[in-house]
Amino acid sequence: MPLRFLFPTILLFSLFSVLQGEDEVDFSRDIRPLLSDRCFKCHGFDDASREADLGLHTFDQATRDLGGYRAIAPGDVSASEVIARLTSDDPDEMMPPPAANKPKFSAEELAKVKQWIKGGAKYEELWSLKAPKKADVPDSDKAIDFFVDRKLAGKQLKANPKADSHTLIRRLSLDLTGLPPTMEEAEEFVSSYEGDSAKAWTAAIDRLLASPAYGEKWARDWLDLARYADTNGYEKDRERSIWPWRDWVIRSLNADMPYDQFTIEQLAGDMLPDATADQIIATGFNRNTMLNEEGGIDPLEYRYHAMVDRVSTTGVVWMGLTTGCSQCHTHKFDPITHTDYFAMMGLLDNADEPEIEVPDPDVSKKRDAIQVKIDEKEKQAVAAINAAAFAKWNADQQKKATDWVPLKATAMKSTLPLLEIVPEDLSIYASGDFTKREVYNLSFDLSSLKGKAITAFRLEVLPDDRLPAKGPGAAYYEGRKGDFFLSEVSVSTEKGKLEFNEASASFGKISVGSGGADAMNVVDGDGSTGWSTSTQQGKRHELVLNAKAPVSGVKTLDVELLFERHFVAGLGRFRISVTTDKEKAIASAREFLNPASATEGEMKLAYIRHAPQFKKLQGEVAALEKTKPAFPVTLVMRERPANNSRKTKYHHRGEYLQAKHIVEPAVPAVFKPIPDGQPKNRLSFARWLVSDRNPLAARVAVNRAWRSFFGRGLVFTSGDYGYQSELPSHPELLDWLAVNFSETGWSLKKLHRTIVMSEAYQRSSEISPEQLERDSENVLLARGPRVRLNGETIRDSVLRSSGLLTEKLGGASVFPPQPESVSAMGYGKGAWKTSTGPDRYRRSLYTFSKRTTPFAAYLTFDGPTGESCLPRRESSNTPLQALTLLNDPMFEEAAAALADSTLSAHRSKPVDPKIIAAEMFQRLLTRPPSESELADLVSYFNAQKQRIGSDELKAAEIFESKDADLAAWKMVARALMNLNETITKG
Amino acid sequence: MNLQELTRRHFFNDCGIGLGKIGLSAAMAGGFSNLLQGAGNSITPAATHYGPKAKRIIYMFMAGAPSQLELFDHKPKLKELSGKPIPPSVIAGQRYAFIQPDAAVLAPCFPFAKHGDSGAELSDRLPHLAKVADEIAIIRSMHTSQFNHSPAQIFLNTGHSLPGRPAMGAWLSYGIGSEADDLPSFVVLKSGGSLSGGAAMWSAGFLPGSHAGVPFRESGSPILHVSNPKGYDDKAQRDSLDLIKRMNQRQLEKVGDPEIQTRINAYEMAWRMQSAAPELMDFSSESKSVLDLYGAKPGDAKSSFANNCLLARRLLERGSRCVQVYHSGWDHHSKVENGVTSQARIVDQASAALVQDLKNRGMLEDTLVVWGGEFGRTPMVESSAALGRSLGRDHHPQAFSMWMAGGGIKPGITVGATDELGFNVVEDPVHVHDLHATILHLMGINHEKLTFKYQGRDFRLTDVHGHVVKKLLA
Repeated sequence: MPLRFLFPTILLFSLFSVLQGEDEVDFSRDIRPLLSDRCFKCHGFDDASREADLGLHTFDQATRDLGGYRAIAPGDVSASEVIARLTSDDPDEMMPPPAANKPKFSAEELAKVKQWIKGGAKYEELWSLKAPKKADVPDSDKAIDFFVDRKLAGKQLKANPKADSHTLIRRLSLDLTGLPPTMEEAEEFVSSYEGDSAKAWTAAIDRLLASPAYGEKWARDWLDLARYADTNGYEKDRERSIWPWRDWVIRSLNADMPYDQFTIEQLAGDMLPDATADQIIATGFNRNTMLNEEGGIDPLEYRYHAMVDRVSTTGVVWMGLTTGCSQCHTHKFDPITHTDYFAMMGLLDNADEPEIEVPDPDVSKKRDAIQVKIDEKEKQAVAAINAAAFAKWNADQQKKATDWVPLKATAMKSTLPLLEIVPEDLSIYASGDFTKREVYNLSFDLSSLKGKAITAFRLEVLPDDRLPAKGPGAAYYEGRKGDFFLSEVSVSTEKGKLEFNEASASFGKISVGSGGADAMNVVDGDGSTGWSTSTQQGKRHELVLNAKAPVSGVKTLDVELLFERHFVAGLGRFRISVTTDKEKAIASAREFLNPASATEGEMKLAYIRHAPQFKKLQGEVAALEKTKPAFPVTLVMRERPANNSRKTKYHHRGEYLQAKHIVEPAVPAVFKPIPDGQPKNRLSFARWLVSDRNPLAARVAVNRAWRSFFGRGLVFTSGDYGYQSELPSHPELLDWLAVNFSETGWSLKKLHRTIVMSEAYQRSSEISPEQLERDSENVLLARGPRVRLNGETIRDSVLRSSGLLTEKLGGASVFPPQPESVSAMGYGKGAWKTSTGPDRYRRSLYTFSKRTTPFAAYLTFDGPTGESCLPRRESSNTPLQALTLLNDPMFEEAAAALADSTLSAHRSKPVDPKIIAAEMFQRLLTRPPSESELADLVSYFNAQKQRIGSDELKAAEIFESKDADLAAWKMVARALMNLNETITKG
Repeated sequence: MNLQELTRRHFFNDCGIGLGKIGLSAAMAGGFSNLLQGAGNSITPAATHYGPKAKRIIYMFMAGAPSQLELFDHKPKLKELSGKPIPPSVIAGQRYAFIQPDAAVLAPCFPFAKHGDSGAELSDRLPHLAKVADEIAIIRSMHTSQFNHSPAQIFLNTGHSLPGRPAMGAWLSYGIGSEADDLPSFVVLKSGGSLSGGAAMWSAGFLPGSHAGVPFRESGSPILHVSNPKGYDDKAQRDSLDLIKRMNQRQLEKVGDPEIQTRINAYEMAWRMQSAAPELMDFSSESKSVLDLYGAKPGDAKSSFANNCLLARRLLERGSRCVQVYHSGWDHHSKVENGVTSQARIVDQASAALVQDLKNRGMLEDTLVVWGGEFGRTPMVESSAALGRSLGRDHHPQAFSMWMAGGGIKPGITVGATDELGFNVVEDPVHVHDLHATILHLMGINHEKLTFKYQGRDFRLTDVHGHVVKKLLA
């Protein structure tokens, strides 16, 4: 018998034993799960896949006359065709049919179905789609225990007594802050608990809820849902900067931002009136999707995949529903149609995805200070200008300057982006979606030239704050951000195509590839050669084409620009000019000021900034500019303007290439809609999610919190509250908590307090054989939680216990040590820049999260890869975890620190090894060791010390010092770190 | 039910690595069969699907996508058309990664010849494979849905183009467990350049994490942290483990949590892995003739593909279920002639040696060997001034070639054909899903029945697709 087949069986077995003994047949509990699992695939919600035109998902469908007989005849078992089918052995008749690969109904299941039909075959709405109701409880401060104890009493299962005070403070600290208590914190709690336990407990809760570590702990859970990572994913998996969003989460949780606001700001903060920088940063939530930078991809295909992820993640996080199935077809098990799916996508779809600079007062101050220095230098230089030299330069410049006539477009069209004229300077701004090949067609009216001969054509590429890296291009992946690649330029008038025999550019360089960027490339007829100003992002440059034969007497100019690369390379902002100057026009990096309109001050500044005799000054200014610190950047959402809104299409079978008709944005039809009068957009959707129109947001949130404390949710299937989900173990409790949560201002801290104040939470987690047999999963909560810590918490615990932990909130992600061979598995080498100093010991949620090569120690303990929303982590127990804890140098380092710091406190006088052993034990496990445990530790210590003394083991290798005591104590510390109890919240 | 029994059961659930033997014997001795009754287990045991033809699999994954036109799929017509564009009717609506679809045809770079009794047609770049031509089955009609490396590689490994689904090896580990109790069931070896698909290719996806492939490291100890920390000899490690075990045992008695028993067992297994790994990596027991057959040179980075092939065989001998040998370096956008020549020199000998060596040892009959990349390459030339490319071939998902050998595969056959341009498959198309269905079939699994319920849906390796390619079966 292969092993895995035992797994679900055992799980079901234990649940079965728990749920046994409820004799009334309940549709939601007993019947619907059976129908959903075995029948709905062919007889459910999906019209397209329904067999024999029979649906068993509604009363009307199931009891319909099928031509003299009915599938279900309410009250009449023998007249119900389903019974005949469920009991048949004829392969052509039997249900589920052999091909369905579903088990036959057991005798017991069949009996239930019969009983249900006999009772009238009553259908009930799915529990999770009904609004939660707050049942009456005798004492609302003890609501949890009321519901839990009532159920326990019904099952005659005895609850455990309260856990001891060491266990309690360890459990509470780990749950609220993700860190074990320090020895001092534990001692203080234990002694005050002896006096007044209630007061001590409340005080500990207050202290921990107020700790900044609280936000860090609960942010980690949220990052799992948000599929947070510090890289883009897919092949190249390059670094991205979105940690300012992660810090926003920590800050918001520490400030106990109401969960409804927390929701709205993350989904649509940019659309709030007068949105603050923080509210815009918050929209990073749905920017945590992956970005494929592989050369040659279809960028819009991966944008579509990101949208699919956003719909699915939003569905799981706020609706508890797996919408994923409806991407490809109408959900067979839940009432979400294929159209519903794309309607929901439509609500989220209308946004651009820029990267913004994050305001940072420190950075601003530093930048301003440097600017003051620059201004001062320039001011001095201007003051010292030699008037004659200036006049000569000025005259010379005017002679050199070409008289360009900027043209205003009369018609514009492009393959994909929207082209708009910027009225102030007649430039053109391109926005919206871009792909790998774009063509812009522009027409201009030349009447202002009054028939004079055109001698040259100019294209200026211009910076714009709205573009990636401030432009001028629209490239946002694979190529440099803000890059473009102009493959070909074609210019014609009513007299035909203009030929160019010379060209110049103020700068030329392409990104990705060894090709040149010669200006003539744009008229050579080869799309794979071209011009770009790579590395000069945010700067203006120009390309000038000189006409072979000047053309006069023309009225219109038609320009075609081709952008063709293996990544998005369209221009984002540019301007077209022509000249009729007879002098040969040459491209210039700077714009010449028009002496007719420029002030003398402007002219003088231009002089010192460009004239060669000021080279030294120019160099100094450039050097100062370089010392300006950059603002951190982060990824956000930006709602698209009404004149370029994105129309979401229905995709046949969910496939990107099968886009069909436009779908109007809406929430799934099974829910109450977004209220009339509200626009059907992202903001309204976000508000809807946390309104009473969505019966799920609060339930899902409290269930998630519950799972974090108890290791198992009240609804076990944490991503799925649909028909396929397991019913809640305590439905009334779930609803009570959900309603209470929204009624008390959506405060997560209040919710967490309510949970930890319950007796259910404070019970001992020891497991009696009876409990193990009757309720191995602790569904009934007769005992307190016992959960293996996740990898991040294990590392944090060990760092704190050993005194290494750096307590600093927020900032860019860091690189704790891990073997080089881990990052060597990734694409491209040498990405892991191991942190030194305090950053080496930051809390684990700050560890740089690389999607394709996640930090090995966390992954080994079921940590996330950040590739998709993870509502519930596995909790496996494997030999690779043992190898990590035993042999990973990171833990060796902590063991050394624990031994060293414990010993150094006792350096002054000889000390009983038992005291050292006990102290190390307590630092890691909180409780004091028993006598026999101490004896084991000391005897191990002595044995190792003796081996070191006899040179069988080398102290220097173990501890990098010759101190045998230190080396042997480090070995003890390491062993302690490997105890099951150390990595368990018990 | 007593504590010991419960904890043992618990252990079997959780501990993924190297459980086959223990799982099997313990299940027989312990009599779990009663648990299976009436519990609504929706997963039909693999044992009831079919008798497996192959017990283990080694998959040589040629990342980057080798040119089928230079290796397996002989297209003389391309020579005639060299320099001319492909007719618009053929290329209409196709998306390419780098080239424009109207690029000109590039003639095949190498001569082909027929080999063995089967007359398998191979190019002159594969002289070693030619010697085992009668042992292998060539598929010339592979096609896929993806035209970029990362999604195509992930697709070939997991049946889905985006990261997050379980790899085929994880499905196998989940479905039929392992035969090894001291080595991982699903091992990943790598040589050549970077892998576009990354760790998603050996992920457990939504299956329990213990079914994930264990990547062997190219430097240091093969399994992460399988060596003792500095300064610890084996006795020190064992002493430590004994202390940990004693203290965990005491805790188990006190709190009764079966997880603790699992933890104790996991530590013992870790200890066994620590001893097994050095023995596995030590090639000194291999004869010179075997080393020469593969071209393996232990410790020589230049021979890492050959070394990995030999290591793969050693892993299979020691009970691993699935070994993925990745070799990256086939992405010949430029100068396909030189590229294929140099990669074939690295790969041909050891790939063929693996077939021969398995055969010599009597292992080929129940070992499945698979060789191939993530898609094919265009009949059209790729050239780009910006990228400095010329005489290359772009990505081509419409048609490519692979070969298989061993357990249950009909030897000495060629399945499928492409049109005269090598552009589209015209005979016996084999989609990636079909390949997966066939591999599972050979391993004794009905691909439609190996499912895992996740977020409300039963998932399979083959999604809702896949047909077993009957022509490939012996």
